[in-house]
Amino acid sequence: MGRMLEDASKTILKENGIPVPMHWVVESAEEISQEQLYSSRVLKALVPVGKRGKAGAIKFADNVDDAQTKARELFGMTVRNYPVNKVLVEEKINIDEEWYVSITIDPLQKTPVIIATTEGGVEVEDLVKDSPEKVVIYNVEPFSQLHPYEAKEIWSRLGVTGKPLVKATSVLCKLYEVFIKYDCYILEINPLVLTKDEDVMAAASVMGVDDSALYRHPELAGIVESGSERSWRPLTDLEKEMVKVNDADYRGTARYTEMEGGNIGFMCGGGGGSLLSFDVLVSLGASPANYTETGGNPSEEKVYGLTKGILSKAGVEGLFVSQNITNNTQIDVMARGIVKAVRELGLDPATFPIVVRQAGVNDEEGKRVFVEAGITYFGEDHTIEEAAAVMVQKMKEVC
Amino acid sequence: MAILIDKNTRIFVQGITGREASMIVSHTLAYGTKIYAGITPGKGGQQVQGIPVYDTVKEAVEKHNVNASLVVVPPAFTLDAVLEAIKNGIKLIVVTTENIPQHDVIKLLYIARKENVIIIGPNTVGMINPKDRIKMGSIGGDRPDRCFVPGNVGVISRSGGMTAETSWMVKRAGFGVTTSVGIGGDSFIGSTIKDLLALYEKDEETEAVVTFSEPGTSFEEDAAQFLKEGGFTKPLISFVAGKFTENLPEGTVFGHAGAMISGNTGRPSLKVKALQEAGAHVVERYDDMIGLLKSVLGEKVGEAK
Repeated sequence: MGRMLEDASKTILKENGIPVPMHWVVESAEEISQEQLYSSRVLKALVPVGKRGKAGAIKFADNVDDAQTKARELFGMTVRNYPVNKVLVEEKINIDEEWYVSITIDPLQKTPVIIATTEGGVEVEDLVKDSPEKVVIYNVEPFSQLHPYEAKEIWSRLGVTGKPLVKATSVLCKLYEVFIKYDCYILEINPLVLTKDEDVMAAASVMGVDDSALYRHPELAGIVESGSERSWRPLTDLEKEMVKVNDADYRGTARYTEMEGGNIGFMCGGGGGSLLSFDVLVSLGASPANYTETGGNPSEEKVYGLTKGILSKAGVEGLFVSQNITNNTQIDVMARGIVKAVRELGLDPATFPIVVRQAGVNDEEGKRVFVEAGITYFGEDHTIEEAAAVMVQKMKEVC
Repeated sequence: MAILIDKNTRIFVQGITGREASMIVSHTLAYGTKIYAGITPGKGGQQVQGIPVYDTVKEAVEKHNVNASLVVVPPAFTLDAVLEAIKNGIKLIVVTTENIPQHDVIKLLYIARKENVIIIGPNTVGMINPKDRIKMGSIGGDRPDRCFVPGNVGVISRSGGMTAETSWMVKRAGFGVTTSVGIGGDSFIGSTIKDLLALYEKDEETEAVVTFSEPGTSFEEDAAQFLKEGGFTKPLISFVAGKFTENLPEGTVFGHAGAMISGNTGRPSLKVKALQEAGAHVVERYDDMIGLLKSVLGEKVGEAK
């Protein structure tokens, strides 16, 4: 899943015939010019997180000086771990009413779903609970377009009539077209504004594109940050290094997430196996320095690069290697990659505990490589939790 | 009997000439599972490891009466492959492909629901019935017998790797499995835990079911509701992994694509609570599964035939 910044999504909406406020992107307060400020403006921090208003990352200005002062404040902010590097300067529109519309995929019905309300400025989740009659939730058949009559009925049920109904119907159909055309997993307009001139305009937009579908959207290259939902903050330097290690070779996967603190390097495999391994260490009072999943039969080079990255984090005093019994990942290849990294860094398993629990394809040879390097090895005769207990015990002995 | 696959299952592989398929096919044949046909457009008339290849599903159905498809095609072609299988009357489809565009997935699941087709996956390791030595997917790798031995326990796992590990825990406890199913790690999948529990309930050989779960989705909550409604009456032993993720910032995905917490949806602690309230045996520690299986099933399993 890939996020898109607001200026990019607004540009796409505009290209597809949906009215949006005029907007400019500035990278410093000084860039704000008279031309952009002939009337009142909204300044928004361009960061890939929601609820910017609550975070104080949306400001209003009437003149250039005011705008530059406020932009400077924004550039000094970090919004939910994201430093503000760009600011969106936007036409302040004449709001009569604030509405809400989103298109996502309904996890229960497994179809696209439109959620719309004419109640503005509220949390839609709360509104659904407290006043369901004020919200329309409408599922669309996956192979179908959204017909104009369907869009019309949605707004009509919410009490919209007259010229605004015609405008809102057209906007919703176009939004649905955008949702389908760009393989979105979310397209949220909050607020969708009814202006004093009875226009319907997308005042703020959130657009997220399915990164599995990016291959059929070359036009979005560089606009959507692939995989960006997997992090709650910008990637750390080490994480960026590990992305490179992963991308250098198509074989297998290596994902790395840095934790705050921690002293156990965590080199685990399998989506579920890694979750289980991490849980066990935490439940035994240990603190892993990172989260990692590897799998899908990675190459020796990839395993080596990932292990080296894990061990390079400051404060790591031991290494836990654990994986579910593998279907296709070759244990001997894993062993050679891990041992190579350990040897290169000159780590001695006598003082730097390394505990391995790996079983599966070619595990006899894998065992030989680990044992020869002086590493504590457990195969299928021991469970992941038993191996984790040994790891934690060994850490207590050396720390 | 087991569920979903048995001696009457006549498998064909869509995408059989691909690199990914070749290993799966050789392991499957070595295990003793018969594969009747393969499909790759433009390669009709060829053979793969002795299996005839056809251009269309239609030909495979006509010549071999195949009834279960293993889909091993790249993401861009999966929707079409599944539609072709459904159009030709196939009622059981295992979709191994990972990273299929989400809009394609909801389309294929939509048609499958309309036509009463059972979909396992996408992004699944597949399933195995060791008694009839039949498997669909990469499940078990080169040595399925390591983890999967015949018995009376059903296994459902949201993680491919943990399908093997969990079946091995069953073996370690002294039992075996009827059918072990990896349901796939995505949020949008065909058969969910609840759907499979309904099948295990009807299966005379299955005496109990073990599930391995992760954060994200409402599959466990739905299963709990199904238990409460009396849809599944056999012992259910559940483990939910990823408890540590609840203490991390919201929206972060660990593990599989489906493993995302959003608001209260997907929280392991709430899944555990729902399952417990519905009468499932939820183990706090994964290893506790062994003891629990012994105590819950000790006397029961083995009597059934």
